Amino acid sequence: MNDKPTPPGDDRPEQDQPPVPGSGREGLSPEPMPHDPAAPQDPDVADEVSEGTDGELPGTRYSVEKQIDLTQKSYSQGQLVRRRFFRHRGAMISLFALLFVTVFAFTSIGYGIIPGWWKKPFWEGGLVENGGRPTLQIWPFVWGEHPFGQDNAGKDYFSLTMRGTQRSLIVAFTVGLVSTFIGTAIGAIAGYYRGWIEGVLMRITDLFIVIPALVLAAVFGKMANGGIWPLAFLLSVIGWTGLARLVRGEVLSLREREFVTAAEAIGTGSGRIVFKHILPNTIGTIIVSATLAIASTILVESALSFLGWGVQAPDTSLGLLISTYQTSFQNRPWLFWWPGMIILVIALSVNFLGDGLRDAFDPRQNRTAD
Amino acid sequence: MSTPTDRYAGPVYTGSGAPGDDDEVVLDFDDVDVRFKTEFGSVHAVKGVDLRVRPGEVVALVGESGSGKSVTSMTAMRLLPRNATIGGAVNVAGKEVGRLSESRMRRMRGNDVAMVFQEPMTALNPVLTIGTQMVESMELHGVARAQAAIDRAVELLGMVGIPEPERQMKKYPHELSGGQRQRVVIAMAISCDPKVIIADEPTTALDVTVQADILDLLRSLKDKLNTGILLITHNMGVVADMADRVAVMFKGEIVERGTVEEVLLRPQHEYTKMLLGSVPRMGAGRGQMGISVKEDVDQDAPLAIELKNLVIEYQRLGKPPFRAVDDVSFDVRKGEIVGLVGESGSGKSTIGRCALGLIPAASGEFRLLGEDVTRMSKRDLKALRKRIGVIFQDPAASLNPRLPIGECIAEPLVVHKMGDRKSRQKKVYDLLDAVQLPREVYNRYPHEVSGGQRQRICVARALTLDPELLVADEPTSALDVSVQARVLKIFAELQEQFGFACLFISHDLAVIDLLAHRVVVLQNGEVVEAGPREQIMENPQEEYTQRLIAAAPVPDPIEQGQRRRERHELLRAQGEEVAELQLDDPDAFHGLSAADPEQDQL
Amino acid sequence: MLQFILRRIGISALVLLLGSALMFFATINAGDPLFDLRESRATNRDQLIAARIELMHLDMPWWQRYLTWLAGAGKCLVLQCDLGTSRDGANINSLLLSSAGASLRLVSLSVALAIVIGILLGVLSAIRQYSGFDYSITFLAFLFFSLPVFWAAVLLKEFGAYRFNNWIADPVLSTTAMAVIALIFALVVAAVLGGGLKREAITFVVTFAVVFGAVTVFDRVQWWRQPALGLPIIVLGGLAALAFFLVLTVGLSERRILYSGLGTVAAGVVAYFVTAPLVENPSGWGTILLLALVAAAVGAAIGWFFGGFEKKIAMFVCSGTALAFAFLVFMDQLLRNWGSFLQVAARPISTIGDARIPYAKLDGNFYIFIYNWGVQLILPTIVLTLISIAGYSRYTRSSMLETINQDYIRTARSKGLSDRVVYSKHALRNALIPITTIVAFDFANLLGGAVVTETVFGWKGLGDMFKTGLDFVDPGPVMAYYVVAGTAAVFMNMIADIAYAFLDPRIRR
Repeated sequence: MNDKPTPPGDDRPEQDQPPVPGSGREGLSPEPMPHDPAAPQDPDVADEVSEGTDGELPGTRYSVEKQIDLTQKSYSQGQLVRRRFFRHRGAMISLFALLFVTVFAFTSIGYGIIPGWWKKPFWEGGLVENGGRPTLQIWPFVWGEHPFGQDNAGKDYFSLTMRGTQRSLIVAFTVGLVSTFIGTAIGAIAGYYRGWIEGVLMRITDLFIVIPALVLAAVFGKMANGGIWPLAFLLSVIGWTGLARLVRGEVLSLREREFVTAAEAIGTGSGRIVFKHILPNTIGTIIVSATLAIASTILVESALSFLGWGVQAPDTSLGLLISTYQTSFQNRPWLFWWPGMIILVIALSVNFLGDGLRDAFDPRQNRTAD
Repeated sequence: MSTPTDRYAGPVYTGSGAPGDDDEVVLDFDDVDVRFKTEFGSVHAVKGVDLRVRPGEVVALVGESGSGKSVTSMTAMRLLPRNATIGGAVNVAGKEVGRLSESRMRRMRGNDVAMVFQEPMTALNPVLTIGTQMVESMELHGVARAQAAIDRAVELLGMVGIPEPERQMKKYPHELSGGQRQRVVIAMAISCDPKVIIADEPTTALDVTVQADILDLLRSLKDKLNTGILLITHNMGVVADMADRVAVMFKGEIVERGTVEEVLLRPQHEYTKMLLGSVPRMGAGRGQMGISVKEDVDQDAPLAIELKNLVIEYQRLGKPPFRAVDDVSFDVRKGEIVGLVGESGSGKSTIGRCALGLIPAASGEFRLLGEDVTRMSKRDLKALRKRIGVIFQDPAASLNPRLPIGECIAEPLVVHKMGDRKSRQKKVYDLLDAVQLPREVYNRYPHEVSGGQRQRICVARALTLDPELLVADEPTSALDVSVQARVLKIFAELQEQFGFACLFISHDLAVIDLLAHRVVVLQNGEVVEAGPREQIMENPQEEYTQRLIAAAPVPDPIEQGQRRRERHELLRAQGEEVAELQLDDPDAFHGLSAADPEQDQL
Repeated sequence: MLQFILRRIGISALVLLLGSALMFFATINAGDPLFDLRESRATNRDQLIAARIELMHLDMPWWQRYLTWLAGAGKCLVLQCDLGTSRDGANINSLLLSSAGASLRLVSLSVALAIVIGILLGVLSAIRQYSGFDYSITFLAFLFFSLPVFWAAVLLKEFGAYRFNNWIADPVLSTTAMAVIALIFALVVAAVLGGGLKREAITFVVTFAVVFGAVTVFDRVQWWRQPALGLPIIVLGGLAALAFFLVLTVGLSERRILYSGLGTVAAGVVAYFVTAPLVENPSGWGTILLLALVAAAVGAAIGWFFGGFEKKIAMFVCSGTALAFAFLVFMDQLLRNWGSFLQVAARPISTIGDARIPYAKLDGNFYIFIYNWGVQLILPTIVLTLISIAGYSRYTRSSMLETINQDYIRTARSKGLSDRVVYSKHALRNALIPITTIVAFDFANLLGGAVVTETVFGWKGLGDMFKTGLDFVDPGPVMAYYVVAGTAAVFMNMIADIAYAFLDPRIRR
């Protein structure tokens, strides 16, 4: 068959089950539904299960209706999404990498009540051994006295990096959570009730076209004056707008859908419509953009620290480490590589995680953001 | 799931009329077999189809969704997605499609075989002018170039009955109506004078009067140009109107074939019989398909809906508001089904939404169950809504995909805080029984059941609170006919049982004829005609109603031929034109396009 | 349409105003402007503090300070800006004049490059969905998304500047390095051209051999210090451009257009010798521009006279080819002057800001000046472009994939159009429509990114002005930055809107 590959036309069978709400193609495919492999294709068997009331209509056994196969396990949308997500190799590797970095950062030097197994404090200098070179070896595996090396003052660079990673992760996840919460609430209100809230939301979004986000973040970061909690809070204040816009767009299209109209016609209150009917259907958008918000916060926070407006000495963060040691690239390159690589690994794995989640929620990949 | 034995083993009924070996054939499917590889295994979509189309002949490939009829036709264009595996052979104008190189195949598309698609709204590129899209294929296939191509495009647009063709050439698709766009698609299809046209549901997305015009156009096209047409459709009326021969497809196989009279009038196969038995017929009135409606409506029953001079307007930015419904008055008694008929843009759905209190009225009175909804507080409205049920058109969109079916049906009880968990569950089970669905679907999700089943769930949900009034907005128009028959039957039974009043909105006159007690015909937001069913259906007074009824095809070739002639007479009597290809000299047309096919570029 | 534009302008003005209030308020509350003086041990400390309070109006409430600033900035509307003075008493107007140009040039160049390259990559990876190329582009896009800008900038400074400068002093490539370069080229070319495993393998081998050979020759002849193209390569390049334009429009088999294109290349060869004195030492950009125009006109004329039926297409192909030829001639001259530039600047790529040689001291021809001006731009431009390419390519890819699944694409295929026409004529334009909306956001994003790159590369641009302003809690420079960035963003937004209307006839009129 020299059938040249052509991009799928409209006739392609529904390959991804279940269809995503909003794709507009749910169940109206012209092809047989392939998602239950056990379903008998034989027309003689193809009838609805447990129905004995037929017979009036001639030849109901030739019904084109898909039968309900009650022997099949039932999957909710959430379960199907989870299944797709766990099958996404890139996302799983990223999840593992992220968990590894997180667990490592928090257990090594300890955090709060978590006791650390690495006892060298990050603020204490010492004797510089062997020019401060890292003692870490991959093969044969050697951990050594200073796995990531030492800085000029003899501080253990492993402790410093882990401390920085902790700071970055805390800020990123706090911002991810808080801004998702604010963004979802405002986006849903703006999309469902429209009116002045929507107007205000759209103007605030416009604000981010005229003020670069990093610049506003810089001003706010300077305000926070080195504390990570104020920094996280102020960054959340900036971070919610993107998500609010997305949620608003999604809500706008969902509120025109017939199941919402049906709920309104029944007399369902608006609160129940938003929380029971609309928001659960935007969960994909929300989770995906929360992940992306985390990834971008990691970058923004480290950039701010690099510029001197984020985390400040004596505390440390990955961006600050790079900033401090950028001039020692020639002599002690490891001081530059370690924190940079860790930022990259975190941001990359969070981004891939987001991509995996997007694929899991929307197997058609036809989202074009707002 | 594709085992070698999944071929249908039952009888295949072959009638007469198939081309012999000596006949000229322009399109020949020989044991065509299509499988799609998917992540869940392979799907056997087409299982060995044989079909031939002669020049100047219309062959209809009939089937419901999932029968593989569109996939079969796409093999002739070789435009299936890459996960398709195709077996057998397809010959177009004597060339075997599977053996052609990609560039020869491209030369064939549009030139030997052309397509007319279902959805005229999306079949044209929105950012290119009609002219650009018309000229493109002619230049590509060397039919005409530069100014000559433009002239020919103008001529073609005139042929298919588009007024002022020169002006339309510079327009963009969104500036034309649906029917006009479909004419443009047809003009594009005949521009290179193909030997065969594949028309995939060419009229499904159109209003019934536009459908009749497009069918007239297609028929004159095959007569005048001697083009073969493969007509893919699910509509038996369209088949009766157009086809010379028919093949019925079921689950990837042809189960019956023959001349249109044989198949439609004397069906042999069970499936064909069932299919034909499920089509509501215009003019056949009550009692079809075992559906019965309680005829005696108490004429003194209180009014469920009372409309007086209702006006509904949509606000538009920077323009005067658009009047969707203009001065409409009618009423619905308790226990009565009133059919609201009209084509797209007639405002019928707008009235339905207003009845549900979803859109405000600009002026006029709208009384529901004796209370005026246009000036009502939110709380009163909620209390009123308890007494009204609603069913929408799209079964895919009208159930929340994140709620299990049981919860969907119980939703009204929860909203109005009625009953406890136990009694709600019992009520849901009763309703599932009533719509003939197994109780086990209670914990399933909407995506796990099919369209017709979903629509039955919607019916159940509408009846949860034992409403006094039901608003049904095109409840069956997204369904296959056999599924529609079943939903209508359940609906009629339930109406008889519960005796609710019903506002039944539909574009399908035959369905209205089957169910309604009284009929209201709408056009452009105004009532054209209203009255008892018998009067409207059998003796319409207004021109528009007459045209509407005349345009609805019936699945009987002889009767439909008769109806068509009557329709043409009616159109002429009303001073309108019958759509046909405006072409006097077919030879000149062929001559031009046969200019020098070998001079093709690419 | 006019009403629409006016409305947009009105809204933008309002947003700009609100943004300025927010920025002003946030900035003056971002720290203590007297911090350094409070720590100081100077004897006249109190005097200094009083002087600064006086200068910066620290005794006024915030809104009064804001209104004072606004009154001055408002005069910009009548082109009489008064943006106040900085903490050191310098006039911000003059500060801004010197810094805004450099930064805006940098950002605009990056935006333009990112749009072109990003869209190209996006389209290619959509067409080759699920191929190795697609996966690589996807991975790279994610990598660039996740790359900390400042880190990448420092890396680039190390490798692109320090080490390159060391290398160019005595440029010799090891065999391994040559092999790696050839390998990368071969992989990229094979992936881009695609077309089945066998064809890709052939492309790979051929490209590898050609590149490896070329690099070896370059190495032998000291090309790295004395580069040039020479007429043969220029002609080859011209022919390649012709092939490209032909494939883009009507295909290679269209004889008449092919011949007129070949004629254009021949005319180019003649022009190469005729214009040589002009090109070798042009008086300025004007001459270059004029020559380019002449080339385009000659090409168009050839297309007009020999194009036959399809005059329009022939004109497009020929003038495109002529321009490409002219560009190659220009590049040839530019490369020839690289050696003389190295004589002037031994370490050519500047690392810290304006390390370029001052104009007054520079002695040399037109091309030396171009180098002198260009080398400082290279690294920051690369960094900024990399940041935003990722976004464009991902966005284009998904938009393109969505478009390819539309019904009208199927219609186009059913007419017999080739993939090339389907993608370039029917799909691309539709796919570009949603992309216009992200341009405005991206521009703002890059202006933010400029703060980081200017810090790393030591530019005295807008970002640097912003940084010192914020560090000193001095609203003057910060607000000046805002005025420029905000206005530029609003302007970009407007262009995006117009592009949108241009692409989509549904919202025109």
